[in-house]
Amino acid sequence: MTEGLRLEGVVRRYGSHLALDDVTIEVPANAYVSLLGPSGSGKTVLLRVIAGFEPPDEGQIWFGGRRIDGVPAHMRGIGFVFQNFALFPHLTVHDNIAFGLRNRVAAPVTDRRVVAAKVAEMVGLVGLTGLEQRGVHQISGGQRQRVALARTLVTEPRLVLLDEPLGALDANLRLRMRAELRRIREQLGVSFLHVTGSESEALAMGDRVVVLNRGRVGQFTDPDSVYNQPASVSVARFLNCYNIFEGDLVDGRTFVGPSTFPVAPGQPRPGTPAYCIRHDLIAIRAADMRPAGGEAGIPAVFIASEYSGNAVTYFFQLDNGQTVDVEAHLSHRAPEDLQTAQRYNLTWRADDALVFA
Amino acid sequence: MSVVTSVNSTAATKPVRVPRRRTGNATAYLLVAPGVIWMLLCLILPIAMMVYVSFWTQTTFKIEPILTTKSWQLFFSSPTYIGALWTTIRIWLIVLASTFVVGYPTALFVGLFVRNKTLSTVLLVLCVIPFWTSFLIRVLAWRPMLGEQGAINIILQFAGIIRQPIEALLFTELSVVIGMTQIYCVFMVGPIAFMLGRIDPNVIEAARDLGAGFGKIFRSIILPLSMPGVVVGAIFVSVMVLGEFATSAALSGRKVNLLGNIIVTQVGSLKWAFAAVAGVVLTFVMAMVVSLFLRIVNLRQEL
Repeated sequence: MTEGLRLEGVVRRYGSHLALDDVTIEVPANAYVSLLGPSGSGKTVLLRVIAGFEPPDEGQIWFGGRRIDGVPAHMRGIGFVFQNFALFPHLTVHDNIAFGLRNRVAAPVTDRRVVAAKVAEMVGLVGLTGLEQRGVHQISGGQRQRVALARTLVTEPRLVLLDEPLGALDANLRLRMRAELRRIREQLGVSFLHVTGSESEALAMGDRVVVLNRGRVGQFTDPDSVYNQPASVSVARFLNCYNIFEGDLVDGRTFVGPSTFPVAPGQPRPGTPAYCIRHDLIAIRAADMRPAGGEAGIPAVFIASEYSGNAVTYFFQLDNGQTVDVEAHLSHRAPEDLQTAQRYNLTWRADDALVFA
Repeated sequence: MSVVTSVNSTAATKPVRVPRRRTGNATAYLLVAPGVIWMLLCLILPIAMMVYVSFWTQTTFKIEPILTTKSWQLFFSSPTYIGALWTTIRIWLIVLASTFVVGYPTALFVGLFVRNKTLSTVLLVLCVIPFWTSFLIRVLAWRPMLGEQGAINIILQFAGIIRQPIEALLFTELSVVIGMTQIYCVFMVGPIAFMLGRIDPNVIEAARDLGAGFGKIFRSIILPLSMPGVVVGAIFVSVMVLGEFATSAALSGRKVNLLGNIIVTQVGSLKWAFAAVAGVVLTFVMAMVVSLFLRIVNLRQEL
């Protein structure tokens, strides 16, 4: 039925530690799915299980309409791009890319001209023309990344697993490679499952985002929903753009935490009780300005600010010691002139907040 | 720079001593000196001496520093000595091959298949345990193993595989090869296991992911990446086997004469000039072998 990859209730244990806990996800054909999770959340294990380097302890893996969890790695037809690229150190760029075509068990390509033509085409696609005869230690990190990608793509897998593929590159190159990855994927029509620890990368790259937390799927939806409506406090916390207040919902109308916040009926979602407000939805007011109707607020002391070019992050401290981040995008507001150690009122529209109860 | 300026400002009248670049070179020379002196005294000088002595005149009872090529002529015209040269080369090649055949799979297991680093270290140490006893005991221990009434013959007879004991086991070239293989195998295992242990497991997984089976991965990835280890191991084994005399003396019943045995005999009968000729020939063969191996793999680049 399904053309893509489907995992059903996959479990992977190391001793008593559950690395993957009942993971059920689906990667449709011709899609870009990013897999986001903090380190230690089981991202890499999940990829290794899908690729066949490790067996699942429970559950099923289906790919292209057949069950593959008993199939050895080299017969799965799933590509894997390693975080450290894992290029063959003794081979040239050309021979690295040609390796799969020449040496695979299933339908190896023996005709030199066919190999040369396919490699040349792939070299052109990833932009390595002219470097074919270089050793893999004689090229830059970004170029090695492209070799790793080309080496996998030339074998025409229908699904490519990328394990933090941009992690080893510097920031500038990372941004360029993002666009490159999307272009290459769209051109070939394959599916990418891209593992990353960076929330911005996950949101930017994926048509859909899987959030993995402690071996469980925390959320699996489109990037916009993940960002604006995280499914749980832990997802919100990992996105790194929410201030999270602990507390409890009292008679369904008020959230009592470091302060009391009004809650509209229907606003609370099921989950560990918490009140979350995004960094960039908070306004900074003078200490004597009370929140208006439909607004929530909390007094806080200004500590410091951090300028990052297009935005400023202001750090405030609540009376209970918790730090609150306020992000101001400079295209929307001018930088504010705040006095250190002064009290201010932080306010936001009450229905912008995410409430779990 | 900052030091210089601060010194200038506090004591402007005094000339500033700028550290000279040559200090670095002097340190380097100092560091390299002990090694150079050692090599000169213990390697270059003796070899030069040996070459020199090989041209001295040897009579039955004494040796005189009168230059002659008589010893050289004798060496290359005698079938015994040329035969010993060929035996040495033949045994060397056989032992090299057998240590590789026995050692590579062992190294493959220790270096690649045992994922646990502690366990692989323990296994390597186990390989070295025989070295806790003396060389001679290790060699002589093969006699009760291989002899006519030895362990192997007894077991084979008991199992009913053979009726008569195999006599060819001991005091033959075979017993010399068996003994040397056992003694020198670990010198092959060590360097290969080291190189195999350095292969990034991801590289092998990448090859699997690209569709290659184990055979292909072994031939195109594992073997080439372990070649420096093979070459280092081969150099170790070669140098030791080419200079061997004790194993062949103990296990061949004096039937297998290597160049090493010739040297021992000649020195024993005070034929210094002749021993020197054999020594020069042996040194030359070793030098050729080592340079041949170094030509196969660029160790400086690979290690």
